[in-house]
Amino acid sequence: MLQVGRQESSGYVLECEGLAKSFGDRRAVEGVGFRIAPGEIYGLLGPNGAGKTTTMKMICGLLRPDRGSITIAGRQAIGNIDVRGLVGYVPQDVALYPDLSARENLQFIGRLYRLDRRTLAERVAEALALTELTERAGDRLDAYSGGMRRRLNIAAGLLNHPRLLILDEPTVGVDPQSRHAILERVQAFGRDGLAVVYTTHYMEEAERVCDRVGIIDHGRLIAEGTRRELVAELGEHDSIELEASGNLDRLAEVCRSVPGVSTAAAADHSVQIVTEDGRSILPAVLEAADRSGCAVTSVDVTEPDLEAVFLHLTGTALRE
Amino acid sequence: MTPLLAIAAASLRRVLRDRTALFFILVLPVVLMVIVGAVASGGQDFRIGVVERDTSAAAGALVKELADTPGLDVSRYRDAASLEISVARSDLDAGVVIPAGFGSAIRTGKPVVLQLMAEQANSTQQAAALRVRSVVASEGARVQAALFASRYGGSYAENEARARSLQIRTAAVGVVPETVKTTAATLPAGYEYSAPTELVLFVFLTAVASGATIVETRRLGMFERMSSAPVAPGTIILGSALTYVSIALVQSIILVAVGSLVFGVSWGDPLGAGALLLLWSLVGGSAGMVAGTLFRTPEQASAIGPVVGIALAMLGGCMWPLSIVSPTMREIGHVTPQAWAVDAWTALLARHATLTGIGGELGVLALFATLFFALSTIRLRASVSGSPFRRHASTRAVRP
Ligand SMILES: Nc1ncnc2c1ncn2[C@@H]1O[C@H](COP(=O)(O)OP(=O)(O)OP(=O)(O)O)[C@@H](O)[C@H]1O
Ligand SMILES: [Mg+2]
Repeated sequence: MLQVGRQESSGYVLECEGLAKSFGDRRAVEGVGFRIAPGEIYGLLGPNGAGKTTTMKMICGLLRPDRGSITIAGRQAIGNIDVRGLVGYVPQDVALYPDLSARENLQFIGRLYRLDRRTLAERVAEALALTELTERAGDRLDAYSGGMRRRLNIAAGLLNHPRLLILDEPTVGVDPQSRHAILERVQAFGRDGLAVVYTTHYMEEAERVCDRVGIIDHGRLIAEGTRRELVAELGEHDSIELEASGNLDRLAEVCRSVPGVSTAAAADHSVQIVTEDGRSILPAVLEAADRSGCAVTSVDVTEPDLEAVFLHLTGTALRE
Repeated sequence: MTPLLAIAAASLRRVLRDRTALFFILVLPVVLMVIVGAVASGGQDFRIGVVERDTSAAAGALVKELADTPGLDVSRYRDAASLEISVARSDLDAGVVIPAGFGSAIRTGKPVVLQLMAEQANSTQQAAALRVRSVVASEGARVQAALFASRYGGSYAENEARARSLQIRTAAVGVVPETVKTTAATLPAGYEYSAPTELVLFVFLTAVASGATIVETRRLGMFERMSSAPVAPGTIILGSALTYVSIALVQSIILVAVGSLVFGVSWGDPLGAGALLLLWSLVGGSAGMVAGTLFRTPEQASAIGPVVGIALAMLGGCMWPLSIVSPTMREIGHVTPQAWAVDAWTALLARHATLTGIGGELGVLALFATLFFALSTIRLRASVSGSPFRRHASTRAVRP
């Protein structure tokens, strides 16, 4: 595993080591380990099925790891119900009662953490204010928009004032404006000293909010570090994005045969290429595209980003 | 509020907000009970055949009393043999033979045996017999009052007339022991039979159907949500079950109230009946939890649950008494908790048993409830910790 800029000081909120989990003979997670300090936002970036949710569930105590250890705030966490009080979990799919109001949902969840009456009232008000849902607090959730539900889902994870906040793809299906608000909030959590694990398959999000990023694929952590460290790992490279229509897999294959191209892979409407010198090989790439019968609609040569790192490390695009 | 109560309160609130659920829980059973009750107790008169082997005034009075009772249609028969044939053919709903010497026996206060014919397995005939018995019992009360009065003066005839004018209608005093072909292995016929078995059927059915809500809660990810808080799986199960046990109890109380107020059903020893209602609610609630943790989709739970509930009710003697089925089927029937509950009601109502008398049945029911709770806790643990009951709808990658 590629380890960049590993933090060595003690006082981590979360330390996991060698986590592994199989479902039948499908290995969902294999030897994942990382540490998070207070105030740090750690991004877990990986494609669908990489094992992000499985890892999060193990940390929350919803899944028992087959192997490995989890320490939360210095306490052994596996099978330890009390430690769950320190963790706030925001599940990937909204988990709230649609036939209860926002306030009733929050009160219910707060009571699970044994908050006393006064604290509960305070925290519920706080969560509603944070998500700007105070005015709609009495409405049943099935009258809410998807984005509003997502926001409430996040607020629910904060009721117990956790030390470790786990956000499993919190922005899926949220409009750009709400996304922006959510990301701002997450950054503020970090400034407040919360340790945050943020899973996503949106490279842009990981780049923007996370202090450090772990790249996960097929259940393994294949690289870890700050954005700068990870990109530096690539060395002098450029990233080319060809937007095209036609058989993109074929296009990627042809591009891979162009001298100077390190990797190329098809994404949803484009082909991603990592190369040592973007500008000089561009004519050869376009000619190859012509040969493959694909119509290129736009070309973009950029500095490499996390997406290029992922492509470089795995040979596949992050967005399939 | 503890997590246990919070879980119970949240799911109760959801049920109370669900109008359809409320209809099925509270309104439908009462409506069906009223319909079944009307069918069982109303409609045509019972056809009663009487053989009068005694020509005394007392015999005549009894026959007149029977004929005057609303709902009884009395015809005279010449001999017991033809009477029996008519009863067996269901041309009659019940037959009564007044023996020779009936009048003189009564006058001297000697016990007398009335023969009452009714097929034990025929619920209409059993209902008819029940009506005849109640007429005989009140007639018996008058006879006893008259006998009692004659000790202090006046002739029997005078006192009899006085007793009749007083319209003493006390419960069965039983100077007239009657032979009825029943072993009291079944519930009393008619409405007394249908009300408790209906209760057993419905409370269980509603509870199992409520499994759909549990499946939904699971699929909403709420059990995962609860498990990610410092709450033990047993607490989650008990909290959710508490709701459904309370609903079952409320439903039982409503059915008992309607049964006794509207149809005059007696529910036997209050302590025994209360314990039986409570245990049956626990069995129902826990069975609902099993359904909720077993099925994959709410549709499955609400489609399969009631079918299983009705099948168990048939096997367990809620639709017809287990005394009419073969011994093998009776044994198979006792695999269901329903059979034990019906047995307990039979003991309470037909044999006037008390709490201690149904201790065995209650024990078996407690065992069923414990088993169901344990099973659902194990299932919940499995469903929370993933395979093979993972939540669906994993969000697909969409480009922002
Ligand atoms: N309960 C389960 N039973 C069987 N297989 C499972 C279960 N949970 C996860 N898996 C499998 O484990 C692998 C990792 O799944 P996981 O949900 O952790 O991925 P993910 O990285 O969160 O993906 P996504 O971005 O789609 O949410 C997948 O192949 C998935 O099918
Ligand atoms: Mg996931």
